Amino acid sequence: MALISTEDVSRLFGSVCAVDRVSVELNEGESVGLIGPNGAGKTTLLSLLTGSLKPTRGKITMDGIDVTMLPVFARVTAGIARAAQIPQTFNRLTVRENVLLPAYFGAQLSQHDAGVWVDEVLEMTDLFDRAGQQAASLGLLDRKRLELAKAVASKPRVLLLDEVAAGLTEPEIASIKEVVKRLQPGRVIIWVEHIPFALQGVCSRLLVMDKGAKLLDGPFDEVWASDVLQSTYMGM
Amino acid sequence: MIRTIEIVALVLGAIIAWLAAAYVDSGLQFLLCEVFLLFIMAQMWNLLAGYAGQVSFGQQMFVGLGAYGLCLMANNTGIPVWGVIVIVPVIVGLLSIPLGMVVFHLKHAYFAIGMWVAAEVVFQFVVKTPALGGSGGIVLRPGGEMMQGFPEQTVLPVSLFLSMALIVGLRVFLRSKLGLATLAVRDNEAAAEAAGVNIWRLHMILFTLTGAGTALAAALYYTTTLFVTPLDAFGAKWVVLMMFIVVVGGLGTLTGPVVGLALFIGIRELMTAAGYSGGQYWIVMGLLSTGVLLFLPQGLWPAFSNYVQSLRGKASS
Repeated sequence: MALISTEDVSRLFGSVCAVDRVSVELNEGESVGLIGPNGAGKTTLLSLLTGSLKPTRGKITMDGIDVTMLPVFARVTAGIARAAQIPQTFNRLTVRENVLLPAYFGAQLSQHDAGVWVDEVLEMTDLFDRAGQQAASLGLLDRKRLELAKAVASKPRVLLLDEVAAGLTEPEIASIKEVVKRLQPGRVIIWVEHIPFALQGVCSRLLVMDKGAKLLDGPFDEVWASDVLQSTYMGM
Repeated sequence: MIRTIEIVALVLGAIIAWLAAAYVDSGLQFLLCEVFLLFIMAQMWNLLAGYAGQVSFGQQMFVGLGAYGLCLMANNTGIPVWGVIVIVPVIVGLLSIPLGMVVFHLKHAYFAIGMWVAAEVVFQFVVKTPALGGSGGIVLRPGGEMMQGFPEQTVLPVSLFLSMALIVGLRVFLRSKLGLATLAVRDNEAAAEAAGVNIWRLHMILFTLTGAGTALAAALYYTTTLFVTPLDAFGAKWVVLMMFIVVVGGLGTLTGPVVGLALFIGIRELMTAAGYSGGQYWIVMGLLSTGVLLFLPQGLWPAFSNYVQSLRGKASS
């Protein structure tokens, strides 16, 4: 059975159809790149998965259980977490406290277990040296890392990455890629990104959206080389 | 867990409270009762608005409910006044749960105004209900008899100790899991929810606790005044006071309200002693809060501690 799946999920904003009857099934250990032109509905689809938006139609299931009506916090405890496009950090808290919160509430760990787990997450996301620093004092790369660490700390089985590489330099993207690779085992990762370089070598599958609908879905290299992709996405 | 210094603070608080009851003269006792009870109310508003991000213009409702709860229960049952003071906050806390279920549908400014409207509705209800004393109010007559003794001699040590216990309690709370969630909500509510925090429940817990705490302070306060009128107990002056103390001192900090309260009481007492009548001191308070909001919008205490930190930074570099 698929770990997470959407069945004919749609979301309308007035008369605009931001997501149009999208059905996807994702299995454990699978990493999917989600691409498409601006306004294709990528971020809206992620919001439907996290629960910050409710679908107008359709169903979202996890392990075969309907989670469509669960609010955001309950989906986090069920195992769906997102790293947002613009880092949503708690600026007056330390880096460590930022990561402790999802470990307590998302992963529902005890005080002791959360402490051990947070150290592990900070190590994994290269933030260990900055644990005591206030989040407000971090630079962009570290803020992106922290956003990723917060999502990971809730022990998600479905990890949604929303343009976590945007605004970073090439070496910085490479370092974020390394972090994401470490997170792959046992999880579903859906990574929205405009920079194909970021997805290459990480995602085995590529999903292309256009005008709210699923356009292409298949093995990364195959989809990447397809003529349809070249014409819609690259405008060639 | 509670730290040694906090236990020391509690013990010190108890000793000072005991000394204050025995040695402070009656006039000063009244003033100090007001100081400590205002501190508790302000800190409650601070927890709700400064930490949980729910600015309310209607907290005077809980003052009124505490005051009326005290008089009605003490006058009409055989329960002794000090027992009533313990029961009233529990009842007010329970009442605030259904209220929260309604007003939580409103966000931000709408919530603030919604709370004000709710307070006004309760005020009008009390004024129009003869059984509650109407606009004339009621006198505190425990069991139908005049109040015996000097209540301020008990209220002062109790409110002094409660203020100390509140500071310690808040420090312990903010170190807990729920406290971390509260601090996170202060910074970014949406992100806290995305970390798995049930925001609605957290808001409800804090709304109930702060409502109960405000009612407790009010019940203690009206035990010293011995009578209550709706215009006084449900007056917007209460929430204005709470806001002044917290916003001028430093919203969302534990020390800020101490600074705000010291300023308020200091200015009021100085001006009254200098012969300025009635509410003239409010003109100064208004100017002061406008100035603080314009030049040090985070409040006096955070501005001061940032300044000290920057001096230290210079000294060490």
